[in-house]
Amino acid sequence: MLALSIEKRLPGFTLAVRWETKERVAALFGPSGAGKTLTLQCLAGLLRPDRGRIVLDGRVLFDSEAGIDVPSRARRLGYVFQGYALFPHLTVGENLGFGLRGRPRAERARRVAEVVERLELGGLDRRYPRELSGGQQQRVALGRALAIDPDLVLLDEPLSALDAPLRAQLRGELGQTLREWGKATVLVTHDFAEAYRLGDRIVVYEAGRVIQSAPRSELLWQPASETVARIMGIRNILRGTVIKATPDRIQLRWRGLTLEAVNSPTRAYLPPPEAPIAFFIRPEYVRLIRKDRGAPDPDHHMNLMSGRVVAEADFGTTVALMIRLDEPGSPAQGEYDLEVEVPRLVYEILEIDRDRRWQLSIHRGSIQVLPA
Amino acid sequence: MSVAATAVTLLIGLPLAWLLSHRRFPGRDLLEALVVLPLILPPTVLGYYLLLLIGRQGPIGAALAAAGIELAFTWRAAVVAAAVGSIALVIKAAQAGFESVDRRLEQAARTLGRSEWSIFWSVTLPLAWRAVLAGTVLAFCRAMGEFGITLMVAGSIPGRTQTLPLAIYDRVQANQMTEANALALIAIGVVVVLVFGVSRLARLRY
Repeated sequence: MLALSIEKRLPGFTLAVRWETKERVAALFGPSGAGKTLTLQCLAGLLRPDRGRIVLDGRVLFDSEAGIDVPSRARRLGYVFQGYALFPHLTVGENLGFGLRGRPRAERARRVAEVVERLELGGLDRRYPRELSGGQQQRVALGRALAIDPDLVLLDEPLSALDAPLRAQLRGELGQTLREWGKATVLVTHDFAEAYRLGDRIVVYEAGRVIQSAPRSELLWQPASETVARIMGIRNILRGTVIKATPDRIQLRWRGLTLEAVNSPTRAYLPPPEAPIAFFIRPEYVRLIRKDRGAPDPDHHMNLMSGRVVAEADFGTTVALMIRLDEPGSPAQGEYDLEVEVPRLVYEILEIDRDRRWQLSIHRGSIQVLPA
Repeated sequence: MSVAATAVTLLIGLPLAWLLSHRRFPGRDLLEALVVLPLILPPTVLGYYLLLLIGRQGPIGAALAAAGIELAFTWRAAVVAAAVGSIALVIKAAQAGFESVDRRLEQAARTLGRSEWSIFWSVTLPLAWRAVLAGTVLAFCRAMGEFGITLMVAGSIPGRTQTLPLAIYDRVQANQMTEANALALIAIGVVVVLVFGVSRLARLRY
């Protein structure tokens, strides 16, 4: 259990955040320069907040009012720096044992051996960091932090120094290592896939503030605002007008169409009629209506609309179709209104490369409203 | 004598260099300016003020005299003179070296439970030793060649405070060119050996 509330004023930037987590891995997610690393440094005691309080499992690490500021070396946190910050003049073995000074020689050797074994670093302990691959360096950095048996592990962009294919592989490995060691972890990343894959809770940062903190599945389906949705990289973020809102349904008008959406079950949102409203439609949840199965049935096909494909993007296994609706007026997203993603197989079966006019339907549960 | 002076400059210079490279404090700019002063001021001016300080009437000289230690016009004064003349080189070189060490390495050491003292010896110095060594060699050579300050505060007493450059000056004045030549060659020899040895050492990685 980690609870944090800090304020730090720097030239040209102010960090003012408050969040807490009971989950094992908390991912701080947001664009570069949002204050994520700064938060990590405050947690580790490398940077002193102007005001605030940091409590880890009941242990007060910092409290400006009580005048408590536990020094870095006594916080027992395993910090894995961006770029790893391995000691270039020490061997892998010496790097791993660096935090164990002052402990009996036998214990030191035993702990280093344990880390070497569990992180599969066997045979590397006499090498120097510059002789290791990126993935090996990452494991040494993690091992060096884990060797001191920390109460909390801090990971700053642990995968950003690696190439894309290696990154995907190590993302899985890192997740497994974190689970195996069972250490509470705070992770910093600007990659939503990484945050979602590794984090149990995701804390969204923007410009020195926290704009949402939620378990990862809640965040995925219920971003708290349009800003959160945009930072997450959600596509088809659209703006309409409210017709009627009830605790379980919201009716809205968009591009001359009347759409029906499900209101969020956990945070019922009741804007007045005619209020502007933002919502999003995930491209993979838009259905194309097959022409060989007769007319659309209103019981199965809600939120009907029609349009034509004006552009497409081939992602290999999926294809994104940019669709411009038949409604008059300028399209919602530049040249098109909706992005629709279909599996390649569907694209081939329906011969979309030849047939460009389609009717679409969107289930009301697939239109997510974004509270202002 | 130059060895003693170099030891003194390291003892005082390294902590100052660490302070200048790692801490922000009021008067830091002033201290930084003060540190380079010995490099810019004419040596005789430095020597003059140093003499005022450590002479028998000076505040430091008087205090030391009371403790039974004579400073001015002894070999100790020559050491002080050489140290004052060369300390700026050690400080500037070491400061640059310390500043070039990735701050995250020191932060990592801090989170791994090390004290600032331990971090200096196990991270900062091992990574900056080349710069420190280069500064030390320069300082040593400067100490060996120190002339003006030494003459002011230690005089040129043969066998007691007469340093190598002073001795050469004396021989030339007395037209003893063979001896002057020999002494000059010794000076060149020491410097060449040092510089060569250091460049060999610097090829080592860490």
